[in-house]
Order: sequence, then C-alpha cells, then structure tokens
Amino acid sequence: MMRVKSPVARLMFHLANLMVIVFILLPLVATFIASIQSEKALQADTRRVTPLEFTLDNFTVILTKGEQRGRIFEQATYLPENIKHFYAASLNSTIVSVSVTFLTLLFGSLSAYTIARQRYRWTLFLLQANIVARFVPVIVLMIPLYIVMRSLGQLNTLTGVIVAETAFLLPYAILILAPYFDTIPGELEEAARIDGCTRFSAFVHIVLPLATPALAACGVIMFIISWHELLIPLILNARPDFMTLPVIIASLVGDVHVFFNLMMAICLLALLPTVVLVMLLQKYIVEGLAAGAVKG
Amino acid sequence: MRPPFRWGRGRELSASWFAFFMNVPTLAFLGVVLAYPIGYAVYLSLHRVRLADLRRGVFAFAGWENYSRVLGDPLFWVAVKNTLIFTAVTVSSEIVLAVAIALLINQAGIWTSRITRSLILLPYAIPPIANGLIWTFLYSFQFGFLNRILLSTGLIHERINWAGNPDTALYAVAVPYVWRTLPFAIILVHAALQGIPRELYEQASVDGARAWHRFRHITLPMLRQILAVILVLRTAFAFSVFEEILAITQGGPGDATWVSAWYSYKITFAPPNNFGMGSASAFILALMVGLMAVVYMRTVYRRVTL
Repeated sequence: MMRVKSPVARLMFHLANLMVIVFILLPLVATFIASIQSEKALQADTRRVTPLEFTLDNFTVILTKGEQRGRIFEQATYLPENIKHFYAASLNSTIVSVSVTFLTLLFGSLSAYTIARQRYRWTLFLLQANIVARFVPVIVLMIPLYIVMRSLGQLNTLTGVIVAETAFLLPYAILILAPYFDTIPGELEEAARIDGCTRFSAFVHIVLPLATPALAACGVIMFIISWHELLIPLILNARPDFMTLPVIIASLVGDVHVFFNLMMAICLLALLPTVVLVMLLQKYIVEGLAAGAVKG
Repeated sequence: MRPPFRWGRGRELSASWFAFFMNVPTLAFLGVVLAYPIGYAVYLSLHRVRLADLRRGVFAFAGWENYSRVLGDPLFWVAVKNTLIFTAVTVSSEIVLAVAIALLINQAGIWTSRITRSLILLPYAIPPIANGLIWTFLYSFQFGFLNRILLSTGLIHERINWAGNPDTALYAVAVPYVWRTLPFAIILVHAALQGIPRELYEQASVDGARAWHRFRHITLPMLRQILAVILVLRTAFAFSVFEEILAITQGGPGDATWVSAWYSYKITFAPPNNFGMGSASAFILALMVGLMAVVYMRTVYRRVTL
C-alpha cells in the first residue's frame, strides 16, 4: 500500500481510526460502566456518563447463585430465578460447545478431506449440498425439530441440542476445511501408501497433523458459534436445569424488575470466554473466516 | 465399474468405498437432522398442526390453507417489508464500511491503524443476544448510555427514544446488527486487498494518478468479486435476523420491527401455537434464502480466490 505523506492526510487517517475504535469499544465500555454500579447509582443522575461508584456486587450475586447479596441487593425483594442457574448454564454451554466443536471437527475433517481429494460426481454434489445447507435459516429447522424431539422425548436434554447444533454447523465446518486439505500435496499420502499405509492411516498420520492450523481455525469458529447459539437451545430446552447462557440472557429480556446493572454484568460474564478466545486466536479466526467464504 | 466391496484383513478399501465410509457420519447428520426436518417442515406446512393436534399426534391434511392464511395476513407482509428494508440497509452499509475500514487498517505508517486492526474482530466475539441486551441499555430512553453522552456533552437537550419510535426502531436494530457482523466483511475485504499486486499502484503513481483514481480504477475492480461474496452471504443471513429483534424491540413498537424470522417464531411458539402456519411462513423464508444460496454456489463461490 501507498505510504501516506502529507500531514493533513495523516491527521485525517488518525481521526478516522479514532472514530472506528470508539464505535467498536463504545458498547463494551457502556456495559462495563453499568456492571460496576448499583441500580440506585445508575438512576441517581441520568445525565452522568462516568461511574458514580465502583462495586462488584452485581458479579458476586450472580456468581454465588444469589446467596451473597452484598450491599446493593441487601434489600432487594426480587431476583430473577434464572440468575441462580448461572453455574448450571455455564456448564451446559461448555458441554454443548465443546461437544459440538469436537463432533464438527471430527466428521467435518473426514468429509472435507474426501471432498478435496476424491473427485467423484457425488462428492462434488456433497460439496454443493453443504454450500446450500449453510444458508438454511435456523427457524426453518426448529419448528420440525421441536416436534420431532418432542415426540422422541428429547426436549430438555443436552444431547438434543448437541445433535441439532452439530448438524447445523457441519456444512460450515466442511466449507472451512475443504480448501485447506486441497492445498496439502497429495504426493505425501502416496509416498506413505507405497510404504504400506492404508488410506485411512495415511489420512490420520500424514494429513491431519499437517492440517492442525486449519483444525484450530475451524475449531475456534465452531466453538464461538455454538457458544453464541440462542434459537436451538431456546426452543428445545425450556427447563432451567438445561438452559445455556444465551437462553438465560434471553429470559431477562422484558423482565421489568431486572435493572441494567445486573443485565450488563451477566452479559459481560457470558461474553468473556469468547472474547478471550478471539483475542488469543485472532490469526486463526481470520484465516478460517476467509476460507469458509470462498473456495480458496 | 466400482470394484466389489470386501471385508478382510490386509485388504485395502478401494478409493470410492473409502470416500463413502469417510462420509457416512456427515451423510447421516445431514440426512436425519437437516434434510428430513426440512422435508417435514413442508409436510407440516400442508397440514393442520395446532397445539391440540400436537397432543393428539394426528395432523389433518389442510392443502394450501396455511399458505393462503400466511399470504393473506397483513402482518406477514409487514414482516417481509421490514425484512427487505433491514437487509438493504444493513448490507449496503456493511459493504461501504467494510471497504473503508479495510483500506484504513491497510495503511502502512499510521500507528493508530495498528490499534484498529487489533480490535476489528472484537464484535465477532459478542453473543448476539448479549449484543441485543447491551444495545437495549445504550438506547434506553431514561437511563441509556447514548442519551447520557449526548445530554452531558450538550449535543441534544431532549432525550431521544431511539428504539421506541416506530419511524426509527428498525434502524435502531440495524446498527447493533451491523456492529456485530461487520468484522466478517472487513476481514474478507482486507484479505482481498493483500492480493492486489503492488506494481499496479506503483505504475499508477508513475502515471500521476490521484488517490481517488487509484481507488476507482484499481482497488474497486479488484475487489468486485469479494464484494459479491459479501453481498450474497450477508443478504442471506440478514434475511433471518432474530436475536437483536428479540432483545431490543420484540417486534415493536407496534409492528415496526416484525421481521420474517420473528413472524415465524411468534406464530409457532407463542399462543395459539400454529405450527402449520409457522412452517409455511418459515418455508417461504427458506425459499428466499435458498435463492441466494443457488446464486452464491453458481456464480460467486467458485470464481473467487484469496
């Protein structure tokens, strides 16, 4: 790219950067500021931007299942029941996301490898089916899946959510992985097969280790999407014991008794794991997102 | 001719059988949890399925009744209109912003661009439902963060009801949606920028081309294909926006932010739980999105390389 020389142009670029940075950070700063105050402090001066006080009580009350109320909830007569399920929801979210990541990587790499290597008419068709499947809106799936899971007695189980999310994300995983397998030279497997490897062990011992960066990229994207998924667990798991974090957050919507300080605190806790992942694995996510969108 | 399949030690699977076995899990998942439900959705949309029918487990054939009721429902058309406006607004602003920001973070020798680049992906990490709730706080009429900033800096003197005004509510939902989904578009444009040969620009500056001309005649033509990818993908996904609607406006005020996915959700999962009509409306949404999918597969997906 061209180097910018004139001082005026440089100033304009700095200003533009400042605007973008403010736009990105504004919602998160607002969330943080609300989460460290009490309802009283937020209501005291509705023109005030900077925090009036600093308290961790919002986080404490969530993390102790409502037992340790601290100063700001001392006299509160109402705490949403679902906040007390925060730990169970975190655990459910973790189980679901880890399982979905594992299953999509496992099945996705098997498929993506054959799509990249074995050019038959049906593997090409499978690739096309995956491209189309990636576009299916969740709501179209959820109505029939609700009825099917209901009749199978699989409502309010983690298995139902894991199976549904795996199927929903598998096409995307295949689209991310296939271009990468395409770049690994086939001679490596052929050499291994001459040495007596079966096709499968050549895949496991030669190709998969080489594909670690792609598996990392795909895995972190799968984890993030399933950590964020709302509609599937919202419809399949209505019982508090089986809720995931996004479902708990959705249950606070429209609750007139819950004030922003508590809402923002629980949002902050729910977004923390994926923010840490994104900051640590930025390079892989960038590669994965690009690979999943075009044939590469 | 496909060689016959044989079990046995030491015998190698033929390439085609190997390919088949490697794909058994995927085919099973796609068939049972993706293709079958979509087929079942078509079945449901042609039958009378209410909560009482669901309890009995018998669905009476209804022909096109669900479709004609959906198509005759004024609220459905309001939802379609809102979805189209929402999609047009979000996708067009995303493309403009993505190109601008990608060029910005691509600048060498501007130290603030490095900070921006390190933050670009942050919104991608925010759960959509949390994003919706966060913006509910920003927009709040009485306690909201936006009104606080604007009032304390003296930019406005009256509070603004950002999400509560039927004329602006749809745009109020569009901003958080763009905020959350923009990183994807920026990353694709930024990757495509790396693929433009430097020589093109060097040649142009020898010829004395101004910055705007370089952008108009070199950068933009080289970005055309990736912009087509972004256009199709983001359009398809904006068609089924749900979380931000649920968190910020729940379709309101009035019907100002009813969109297609919200319509199907409410018809199906809110009383009186009309699963048949919900399936019919969801299937119409799927057809619109499916059209985008075919366009994507046939034209833009295979041509672009990064």
